[in-house]
Amino acid sequence: MSEYKKPLPEFRPETKPYWEAAKRHELVLPKSKTDNRFFFYPRALSPFEDMTQEIDWEKASGRGKVWTYSVHHMGPTPAYKGEPPYVVALVELDEGVKMMTNIVECDPSEVKIGMEVEVVFDDVTEEVTLPKFRPVRS
Amino acid sequence: MATYFPRAEETREILKKQRVVIAGVGETEQGKIPDKSSFQFLSEASKLAIEDAGIKKSDVDGVITAFSLVEHTFMHCTTFADYFGIRPRFFSSVAVGGATAVWMVAEAAMAIASGQADVVLCVRGDNTLSGISSSGMVALIREMCHAEFEFPYGLTTPGGYALVAQRYMHEFGAKPEHLAAVAVTARKHASMKENAMHKKPLTVEDVLSSRVIAAPLHKYDCSIISDGGAAFIVTTEEKAKSLGVTKPLVYLHGMGQGYSHQYLTSLTDLTQIYDAIGNSGKKAYETAGVGPSDIDVAFLYDCFTITALLELEGLGFVPRGEAGPFALEGRLELGKDLPLNTHGGLLSQAHLGAMHHVVEATLQLRGEAGPRQVEGATTALVHGNGGIVSAHSTIILNKEPL
Repeated sequence: MSEYKKPLPEFRPETKPYWEAAKRHELVLPKSKTDNRFFFYPRALSPFEDMTQEIDWEKASGRGKVWTYSVHHMGPTPAYKGEPPYVVALVELDEGVKMMTNIVECDPSEVKIGMEVEVVFDDVTEEVTLPKFRPVRS
Repeated sequence: MATYFPRAEETREILKKQRVVIAGVGETEQGKIPDKSSFQFLSEASKLAIEDAGIKKSDVDGVITAFSLVEHTFMHCTTFADYFGIRPRFFSSVAVGGATAVWMVAEAAMAIASGQADVVLCVRGDNTLSGISSSGMVALIREMCHAEFEFPYGLTTPGGYALVAQRYMHEFGAKPEHLAAVAVTARKHASMKENAMHKKPLTVEDVLSSRVIAAPLHKYDCSIISDGGAAFIVTTEEKAKSLGVTKPLVYLHGMGQGYSHQYLTSLTDLTQIYDAIGNSGKKAYETAGVGPSDIDVAFLYDCFTITALLELEGLGFVPRGEAGPFALEGRLELGKDLPLNTHGGLLSQAHLGAMHHVVEATLQLRGEAGPRQVEGATTALVHGNGGIVSAHSTIILNKEPL
């Protein structure tokens, strides 16, 4: 796993609960305690009018729909050279927030806007697990 | 959105009284020019603009620069002032990505209106094509998205615009050829501009058969990278006349900004983008006292073909979802409904933010655009976009005072 050369997240201290949960293969989302609303990406203060620092980390359903996607034929770093095309997508979670992610475990040509997806966890290094999504199989 | 710009009338009065003008423009050679530094391009462009205005270097008392993607400096404007050999009493580095060039004009106007400076040199130059390192390019792509929550998924800059394009096509039934038409028009216009990097004719078929970078965007849906510099001198009509400027003056009639998001993760829907573009335009239109139908020639940010379509709709030139067919019918070409980026834009001429958009708008209103001249051009709109259709700026220029 030490061979992973693609970009890893540059952590901010306040996002620790998110990445720790991902390592446990759980998707958690920050929620303002006073506004009772989810937000994403995680921040130290709620981005809503309340500006609260009282933030709950709630386990998310892990389900959502593809809001938009793009099959990338060229990656952002040399580590992507020679790789097959991959799907970058914005997924709208059932909790109402959007997440940038990859759609995996399917052929890129199968991905459509509105497609129902569920979270899977990719342990890319010993320290980092990236939540990704695959089509719901049911 | 009625409350977005409650002080339009007041702003209009200020611009009416100040009579802020662009008194000179300059652009260096654009293309692949490996033997010149970022600061050389900045200086050469400045010299050309000063000479074009017919003023002295020592008449410049304000300077606005942007940033360099090659030579990173903590204080770009003053670093340039030192290199160029000026001691301005007003200096600022504007760094709002592709919204920068347009906002330089506005910021110069604000500096002038508040008495901070009288003659402001606005300049950008960079050896982006020849000078940027592979790690510098990666850093730039990383900066264009969220380093923690987007970049690890391999999102690229074309990819960010592709995400917007895909959604746009889904909502309005737009087709890849609608996007391609914007690139075709840009190339057609660039072929008439001597100082343009790509002039070989381009067809819709060429665009659609070019390499897919990030679907639905092909290679020719993406802007070019170039080396070069461009500059303009912003002052007042009174000052220009006292300095003996002989070139026709181009008057600033309106200006505005609009903001949507920085990261696509924070985007609610396409309406949020349209509102940001629309608000930026609204401030400019209301200050100028004009609307989209009064614009004779438009200079819209065209980092990708999708960008221009969204701006055409957000600025009210065509209804939402109709910019694609409008482009494909050739209505953005010289001599047609709304000539767009008569210099070839970022897609074909050169990429220096919207610097050349401002320069070409000035040339059009001075009647100096040669084979690209829009007959009777009186009013021009210039729009810049930074980030992934994130941050917007608009100015309206006119050949007559407000």
